[in-house]
Amino acid sequence: MSPSRLRHPLLVLAGALLVLPLAMRAIGMTDGVATEIAIFCLVGLGFNLLLGYTGLVSFGHSAFFGLAAYAAALLQIHRLPGHVLLPIVFGTAFAAGLGLVIGFLALRRRGVYFSLLTLAFAAMIFSIVFRWTSFTGGENGLRGMTRPSLLGVPVESQLSFYYVTAAVVFLAAWALWRVVHSPLGRVLLAIRDNERRARFLGYPVQRYKLIAFALSAAATGLGGSLFAFLKVFVSADLVHVAFSGEILAMSIVGGMGHFLGPPLGGAFFILFREILSEYTAAWQFWFGLLFMGFILFSPSGLIGVGGRLLGPLRRGGEEAAAMAARVTPEPGQEVPEFFRGAPVVPGALLECRRVSKRFGDFTAVAEVDLTLADRRLHALIGPNGAGKTTLFNVISGMYPPDGGQLLLAGRRLDGLPPERVVGQALARSFQITNLFPSLTVFENLRLGIQARHPRRFDLWRPFTSLAAVHEETQALVRFLGLEGVEGAPVASLSYGGQRLLELGLALAARPRVLLLDEPLAGLAAAERERITALVRRLSEHMAVLVVEHDIDRVFAFADRITVMNEGRVVVDGPVAEVRDHPKVHEVYLGHGRDILFADAARASSAGAGAAVLRVSGIDTFYGKSHILHEVSLELRAGEVVGLLGRNGAGKSSTLKSVMGLAPPARGRIEFAGRDIGGRPPEEIARLGIGFVPQGRRLFPNLTVAENLELSRLRRRGSDGVRWEPERIFEFFPRIRERLASRAETLSGGEQQMVAIARALSGTLRLLLLDEPFEGLAPAVSEAIFVSIDRLRREVPILIVEHDLDLVLALADRVYVLDRGRITHEGPAAPLRADRELRRQVLWV
Amino acid sequence: MPLFVILEHMANGLLVGSYYVVLALGLSLIFSLGGVVNLAHGAFYALGAYLAWEVQRRLGFFGALALSPLGVAAIGVVIERLCLRRLYREDPGLALLFTFGLAMAAEQSLRLVWGATGLPFGIPEALRGQIFLGDFIYSRYRLAVLAVSAVAVLGCWLLLNKTSFGLVVRAGTRDPEMVRALGIALSPVLTAIFALGVGLAGLAGVMSAPLAGVQPAMGTEILTAAFVIVVIGGLGSFWGVVYAGLLVGVVRGLTVLFYPPAAEASMYALMVLVLLVRPRGLMGERFERFE
Repeated sequence: MSPSRLRHPLLVLAGALLVLPLAMRAIGMTDGVATEIAIFCLVGLGFNLLLGYTGLVSFGHSAFFGLAAYAAALLQIHRLPGHVLLPIVFGTAFAAGLGLVIGFLALRRRGVYFSLLTLAFAAMIFSIVFRWTSFTGGENGLRGMTRPSLLGVPVESQLSFYYVTAAVVFLAAWALWRVVHSPLGRVLLAIRDNERRARFLGYPVQRYKLIAFALSAAATGLGGSLFAFLKVFVSADLVHVAFSGEILAMSIVGGMGHFLGPPLGGAFFILFREILSEYTAAWQFWFGLLFMGFILFSPSGLIGVGGRLLGPLRRGGEEAAAMAARVTPEPGQEVPEFFRGAPVVPGALLECRRVSKRFGDFTAVAEVDLTLADRRLHALIGPNGAGKTTLFNVISGMYPPDGGQLLLAGRRLDGLPPERVVGQALARSFQITNLFPSLTVFENLRLGIQARHPRRFDLWRPFTSLAAVHEETQALVRFLGLEGVEGAPVASLSYGGQRLLELGLALAARPRVLLLDEPLAGLAAAERERITALVRRLSEHMAVLVVEHDIDRVFAFADRITVMNEGRVVVDGPVAEVRDHPKVHEVYLGHGRDILFADAARASSAGAGAAVLRVSGIDTFYGKSHILHEVSLELRAGEVVGLLGRNGAGKSSTLKSVMGLAPPARGRIEFAGRDIGGRPPEEIARLGIGFVPQGRRLFPNLTVAENLELSRLRRRGSDGVRWEPERIFEFFPRIRERLASRAETLSGGEQQMVAIARALSGTLRLLLLDEPFEGLAPAVSEAIFVSIDRLRREVPILIVEHDLDLVLALADRVYVLDRGRITHEGPAAPLRADRELRRQVLWV
Repeated sequence: MPLFVILEHMANGLLVGSYYVVLALGLSLIFSLGGVVNLAHGAFYALGAYLAWEVQRRLGFFGALALSPLGVAAIGVVIERLCLRRLYREDPGLALLFTFGLAMAAEQSLRLVWGATGLPFGIPEALRGQIFLGDFIYSRYRLAVLAVSAVAVLGCWLLLNKTSFGLVVRAGTRDPEMVRALGIALSPVLTAIFALGVGLAGLAGVMSAPLAGVQPAMGTEILTAAFVIVVIGGLGSFWGVVYAGLLVGVVRGLTVLFYPPAAEASMYALMVLVLLVRPRGLMGERFERFE
């Protein structure tokens, strides 16, 4: 964003400040009003450093404004009569100090709690100032201030005070401009966009927020001190909480996305007040309405409105964005300079020793030993719920381990927060793209590289002066193949481009150990090739640990593989060893054990009837990620159909598409003769589709009886089977005993039964089951299996399950999904009996 | 200081706390289900008092007590459906800012319609006088406030725990998507809860009118008290808000006795303490979307 010379915001501001008194006189306003406008411009700029640039909503700025005014006034009245400059400096410093204290406390919380804390502080300070009348004069205020001269200029007249104030305001604006364009200022933008990712780039985010808070308080305080001298009077009104709200309103109405937005808002506010109050006492009413209007229709404020009006005159940005969406990045051959040349670390570079992590009762990772050698490409695979991502999260510092140790080149890593872990040269990418959406591609990467630079806290010099950072960023852009689109905003990149950038952000930290979480997820074949090649090249210079579900590729590119299941390591070794290891086959392909109890029920199954559900060629997206490609399947009355496939294949997404929770972008879904694709989930449920989601999702705060009652409320259709409570208890006798217990106290098996029973309540014509056996002990699985088996005669069932033995024993027919496409369709019996066939269809 | 004076002030604090509870309960409901930080809650409280003033001139106090909260709820329905609904899917900050603008406009509109000075609102005839309980003297009106508040709180509890509407609300605070997957549309429920929440605020306003007067700034003054209570009691907890409301009333009653200037400030200090040490309050639950 490089505005032409003439449109440079500071010049615009200077020009406006110069002519303001003339303009005011022309519309019949006083010079005092002009001064107030100038002061409010400053207050707006200071406030916006927090709101627009860092993303923090503070209700506490009335305290900084008013207390700075009081500090200045009290200093002049009691100690330095006749001085103007020193009291102003004192007021500003006081506000900055107060900002550090309040900021330190309030920033311990985030989001709404942070805002409420600032509100509480502001209210507390106001009530103290209001009541401590002996010191502050309360409502009546303090008199006795004088205003002889400032900066050598006599300022008793309003006009001369205006020009001195305007000069001070301009200098402060210039300083704030420098801050916003400094390395520190750029980090504030990153924090606003994605605070968590900023931490994972290595920035100590709290420190940055505190600095921004203190600066903002100082600017507001400067405005307050000037205001005290404008009115030559201070009273408790200056500290009133409502004023905080007015500052917020001004900034939003003006437009918090632009440097000059809040000053414009401040001017607008004052003029609005002055002009309208001549006609009506209710000007605040109209301003409030206006404010609400902006929130609803144009949250980017007046500047946003202006931008849209002038929009057709500015084409350039759109073209760059469109191009970015079409370009497929071609990663370069040469790994950038700054990755090369590090000495090889012998032995284990990263070591996990008996690492464990629990969440409440659930053990996600249990005593995992993992060793990663330098210059190796090590893959971590395993079925759903194996604990791979949790392990990554523990290693990268998102949570501390509950047991065990983490060592990087011999140094302890466990317990360090993410920013410190990155400082030890361990970086990670995320499974779901986690970028800074409003910034350009170049800026995303540059921020990653800047995080290592000694001048990353610099708030004065322009960020463009960090030449080394710029060069390294260029090299990284070239390496990733993103040349030509580095100026485009991230949101306009294609999905493949975004995934590449995601990887690039992790690289920017110049890691010695790189953790990649499903780098190939959702990508087309050609893109997978490219990223695989890139990762292989990287592993020649650093240690790389990859979690991936694309097992074919993993076996092709990895040096070493660790297989996890249910939180533990199953096998760890070279590719050849793992590929044919019987235990690994068991984990992925099942034991081939006979499910004896199923046979009796199977024999009496009458065979399939008419099609109940028909899915035709659906494509489903999560944001930009293309999850399902032209998926078609059919479910007929009287049958159980299984959806098989590895993790990330799209099985759950298919169920969600049918249920309306992830509506398809293309294709048709027909149920009982009706087209339900894209309808809201409540409508689909009412047609008689019952959904038992992964993880059961009972309402933990409700009892079992209440959970069941909830689903009876709506499904009262005439077709389909009506499930009365008695019938449900017959199927699941255990539930009757637990009716009055809160759902969160139930065991896993009991919860699963209740979840299925809940789906049955009311009228049911189709049952969707997503991983019903997940996390259950074998005996409990048997009970659930028997129940589902009995249900097959009552209602058609579509089941997603990764335990192949169980699902192949239940299902009549199966579909296999791989990377979002159906790759196999047929009866379940052959797959059940023939393990070799299973391996062909489902393994590598 | 004789003990019974202290006890009397505590008891008085409890009585005053009771209508705070009604107010805070409404705020908490809107918080928990709608996910909206309703900064305009005080405005609805004030509106309740003003509407009551109008109604009681024609239909007496009891008419006002019945009709004014309904009027406020009706206005709440309109605002929710026209405006708030668009903001649910956005950043919770935007809804917060919207309600803030609403509060601003609402306070001013009260000034416009009814003037900037307060309106006289006496205690209704039927409820004047004192009741003697042993050594303690209580104003009849305050006891009536306690009674009405108790009924309102009980009514809410029954609604939330014994009706299917309440069932949907309680489920919706934890997993709105799953509620929809069970065939229940949430938007009418959200509208109803918002209307109920602001209706409770209006009711609190009616009850407070004879005690604290009716003037345009009454909304902003009580708003921070309401937030203090909800924060201390904890988001999502019914009884937490009740206890916290009574606690705040008692604390206020005592500080007014011992050191009046610190009465308000002590409340805000308490809020800061709770937010810093235990943001989910006494009995609340974790709401990640607010952090």
